Amino acid sequence: MSANCDIAFTLNGVKRELSVPAGMSALAMLRERLGLTGTKYGCGEGECGACTILVDGMSVNSCLLFAADCDGRDVVTIEGVVQSEAGERLRSAFVASGAVQCGFCTPGLMVQASHLIEQHPGADEAAIRRGIEGNLCRCTGYRKIVDAIASAAKPDPGQTPFSEGQP
Amino acid sequence: MNEPAKTWSVPDSLIGKRIPKMDAPDKASGRTRYIQDLEIPGALHGKILRSTRVHARILSIDTSAAKALAGVHAVITAADVPWQRPIGVGRDHLPLKADRVLSLRDEIAAVAADSEAIAEAALKLIRVVYEPLPVLATTIAASAPGAPRLHPDRPDNVAMTFDYAQGDLAQGEAESDVVVEDVFRLHYVTHCCMGVSGVIAEFDPSGNLLLYSNTQVPFLHKREFAELLGIDPGRIRIIQPPIGGGFGSKLDIYPFEPIAIFLAGITKRPVKLVFTREEEFIASPTRQPVLLKLRSGCRKDGTLTFRDVETVHDNGAYTSWGATTPFVMMQTISSLYRVPHCKYRTVAVYTNNPYAGSFRGYGNLQATFAVEAHMDKLAEAVGMDGLAFRLKNAQHPGEVTPQGMHFKSCGLKECLTTAAQRSDFLRKQAENRSRWNDPDPVKRGIGMASMLHVGGGAKIYPSDGCGTILKIDDFAHVTLITGASEIGQGSETVLAQLVCEELGLPMTAVTVVNNDTDITPWDVGVHASRTTFIAGNSAIGAARKAKRKILEAAAAKTGNRIDELGLAGGFITASSGEKLFELAKFLRSLHFSDKADLVMTSFYYEPPSRHQDKQFKGDVSAAYAWATQVCEIELDTETGIVRLLKVTGAHDVGRVLNRLGIEGQIEGGIVMGQGYALTEDLRVEAGVIRNPNFRDYKLVTAPEIPEMDISFIETMDGEGPQGAKGVGEAPAICIAAAVANAIHNATGTRITALPFAPENVYRALHGASEPPVWNAA
Amino acid sequence: MLRAGDVTVLAGGTDLMPQTQAGRLRFRPVLMNVRRVPELKGIAEDNGVVRIGALVTITELLDSALVRERLNLLWQACDHFASDQIRNAATIGGNLCNASPAGDTLVPLLALEARVVLAAKPNGTLQIRRVPLAQFLLGPGRSCRGLTELLAAVEVPLPGAGFVGEFYKHGTRPGLDISTISIAAGARRDGAVLRDVRIAFGAVAPTVIRAPRAEAALEGHRADAATLEAAVQAALAEIHPISDVRASDWYRRELIHNMLKRVLTHVCKL
Repeated sequence: MSANCDIAFTLNGVKRELSVPAGMSALAMLRERLGLTGTKYGCGEGECGACTILVDGMSVNSCLLFAADCDGRDVVTIEGVVQSEAGERLRSAFVASGAVQCGFCTPGLMVQASHLIEQHPGADEAAIRRGIEGNLCRCTGYRKIVDAIASAAKPDPGQTPFSEGQP
Repeated sequence: MNEPAKTWSVPDSLIGKRIPKMDAPDKASGRTRYIQDLEIPGALHGKILRSTRVHARILSIDTSAAKALAGVHAVITAADVPWQRPIGVGRDHLPLKADRVLSLRDEIAAVAADSEAIAEAALKLIRVVYEPLPVLATTIAASAPGAPRLHPDRPDNVAMTFDYAQGDLAQGEAESDVVVEDVFRLHYVTHCCMGVSGVIAEFDPSGNLLLYSNTQVPFLHKREFAELLGIDPGRIRIIQPPIGGGFGSKLDIYPFEPIAIFLAGITKRPVKLVFTREEEFIASPTRQPVLLKLRSGCRKDGTLTFRDVETVHDNGAYTSWGATTPFVMMQTISSLYRVPHCKYRTVAVYTNNPYAGSFRGYGNLQATFAVEAHMDKLAEAVGMDGLAFRLKNAQHPGEVTPQGMHFKSCGLKECLTTAAQRSDFLRKQAENRSRWNDPDPVKRGIGMASMLHVGGGAKIYPSDGCGTILKIDDFAHVTLITGASEIGQGSETVLAQLVCEELGLPMTAVTVVNNDTDITPWDVGVHASRTTFIAGNSAIGAARKAKRKILEAAAAKTGNRIDELGLAGGFITASSGEKLFELAKFLRSLHFSDKADLVMTSFYYEPPSRHQDKQFKGDVSAAYAWATQVCEIELDTETGIVRLLKVTGAHDVGRVLNRLGIEGQIEGGIVMGQGYALTEDLRVEAGVIRNPNFRDYKLVTAPEIPEMDISFIETMDGEGPQGAKGVGEAPAICIAAAVANAIHNATGTRITALPFAPENVYRALHGASEPPVWNAA
Repeated sequence: MLRAGDVTVLAGGTDLMPQTQAGRLRFRPVLMNVRRVPELKGIAEDNGVVRIGALVTITELLDSALVRERLNLLWQACDHFASDQIRNAATIGGNLCNASPAGDTLVPLLALEARVVLAAKPNGTLQIRRVPLAQFLLGPGRSCRGLTELLAAVEVPLPGAGFVGEFYKHGTRPGLDISTISIAAGARRDGAVLRDVRIAFGAVAPTVIRAPRAEAALEGHRADAATLEAAVQAALAEIHPISDVRASDWYRRELIHNMLKRVLTHVCKL
């Protein structure tokens, strides 16, 4: 199992070619080989969501994904999510709503939330809560995370209430 | 004394506003580099071999195969560091265990290698031969005559004892019309910081140590590491990268830090050592598990008469802060409500179990759980409602309790009435009770609990101080250099906010530096809900110095008196509000003259008061925080599942500084308390943790959180920064106690053991559980 | 492709990855990634049978109108399956081959009398066999899939019109939870009488199980309290729960007793 696999995939919009050990996780590849440390290790078994990334538009735990399995696919990490307009909107909402404390779970939640909003625009409170059930947060009690996602998911993108309080 | 009154009514004040956390944009972008993300060029990866036995003699360790593995730079055991010294609060364990292991987490050997994978492979090649020793899995076993000694200097396996008394217990009992007694059992839970533990150690050629550490107490640790290494503390620099959660878990030194230092010293390379999640569960501290017997009494009119408390703490194999939680527990026992006669005894007994550290609330969750159960029970016995009974015995401002705590500000009564009114407590309580015999298997319950916690620092150490350096550049940009660490709680934002409030500057005009012991002034550390209070006062002190200096210079130019001038909106203003000088411009002129000197230093120490004496009497904090929380639950009697539907909280926080930040602290604390009450349960059986993973150690997830209605009781503490008191720990403290009372309200059954996990609740409701029994052992 | 023999088959990876990293499982010499095999994808109905390709993810099942409307019992279980991230990666084939006694999708599939389609190509010609799920599952983590066989699909006969089913998974969380016990039960009302009664359980035996005696107690009977109680008693004789870190055997039995009764009450609209 020490054999390497040659893979080619799109990472945050850029084509990449890489040789990875067959047993390596996408999480390890992103962090250790590609220096994308926004994707976090929280548990290594898909129970905490800190390593959430998008693969072909679907959110997955990168700790459960083999790096070799990224071959031919479109991978987006937190670093890519915040480059988009929707991602920036979400980040502003997280900041303004107080959804960030220690921040370790935040990138995974941002990625999951971006997926949730894309799949279910205008998701209600219950849908948002279910949508992030796979992301553990120890600091915030989730309330402000749900608020942030709800405000970013609002259909009207014209109003940004996020400057309030920032003098 | 500060003078907050002057600024309270200023319309464009920042106080009480919703100020976003300064580091949030980076964190939400994945840009923040936590210790796990730091790559030091040339660094090796460290890994620790832990015991596979709970209690055993180490007969031999063979590291030869591991040493021979390609890519391995060092394999060390206790034999390689004969000079190592005991660490931790109790100074009772060596980083690398020499001849005996006392718990499953025990460190036996460590590897430094080119990669984590090689280090892990090397661990598997180390051969340890053990001779099993009897496992002391309970405090009873450890206290039995003839039980093996776990530490040679502790013949009876007692790690620590606490004895406190006030008044005359016998008199209290004689005056009582009602006496109740129960035994409570509080379980193991652990911090579960989302970022696992890690450290990077590096020596320079002169032998100076640079440590990247997630410690909450960098200055205290400098000293401890210096003792361990036998070097001058001045040669140790600690940098604290952003931390993936603290909650008290990083208040003590744990063996992995010295071990990384040993490896770095031996290999002369930087060494990075990061836990796996499983390791985090096994080798991190827990909350202190407690067996508690409480006997309480009151008169017919509802006046409390006495409390008699005995507790046994499973100390685990070693002594960390968990053993000292009685300091806080006895405060709740003696002073949450007025009770004239009180006795409190704790024995902490060494066992072969995991050991407990400090954890948000620090013993107070455990004590409050017992005290608040009896508040309900006594109220019922004398025919009073729980609210009236608590109000009758509640503390009020000005009170000096028999233990010596001086409540200069106290909003407990307002907390009680506010939480009760907003939750419609009395009506719902009566309604739920009337439905006990309804056929519907799903019951509703409502329960109340209050808490008292330090809110103005805690004099655990000889002093409780924090320093600030504040400099202002020629563009009126302020750098606030504070000793106070940021652990995710938002201290950097609130400190910047307090400075901006003084200097009339926007938040964007401040940079906070808070994570490098070579730069930052001394501080005790992040604990005891003290940072806003102590570091906040210190920051205000520095800002006021700067303000005075600026206004003096301005007054010299305009001929005004200083008190006729102010700072607002980036200008020096006259009392009329007229803008006299643009601050940046004025400061430039000062910097280019020879009179600038715009580097301020300030220190804040808690105001003088009676330090706690050997009888544990004294005034441990400059201010005290209060809260009442009402929990509403739904309980399915056919499954035992308890759902927390709503928490109505009223918190005496002194004053709200950053509304966004304080809401975040309270909401997060409530959900942490919910986990303690309902879902989290670190299952320790015969010294082995059965569920070291998030699959079976259940943190609360987003769909489970309750509706939260939070009220702030602003008592404007005279000593607090802008009137504020600490709040970090308070919100987690009452939940389990209030849920217990809610379960009783829903079913008529009182459960005195945590957690209220479905099977435990189901068993209690159906008479299939064994209630905790007292065994002082 | 199916000739190599000593192969570890990878689809979503959500179970395989933690198993390999925890050292419980070593890859066989060949790790075969089947993700791009088109024959293993898709959900389609043909002649009263729904064929679900092995690579169909739990999310795809949840998003399928066919599954929601016609195999609602399965859909309910998918809604209780782990988290969104896992549902996006985990496949029905992987869930079946993993053969967990607590597998969320297995319980309704068993109740719906699903069969798995196993494909092999021993000497150049494709051989297909269909195995009822009850026979496919042998024990915890064990199935009758041969080393050279690939699970290609699961086929589910559509229940008759009017069939009502309910899935119950015990836990404090809606999803991210391993079942303490789970129940799938369904029936069709024929006037006052119950037909096509199906009851299956998870996490009370070495595999997910059907409860034939409980079903028989209801089949063709009037749906009243006494009949339900008889069925529940019959079910208790059919389960063999164990005690583990999640629950005691006693509590699992209590849950089956209480919650089967509740689920049947809903199904029978009592």
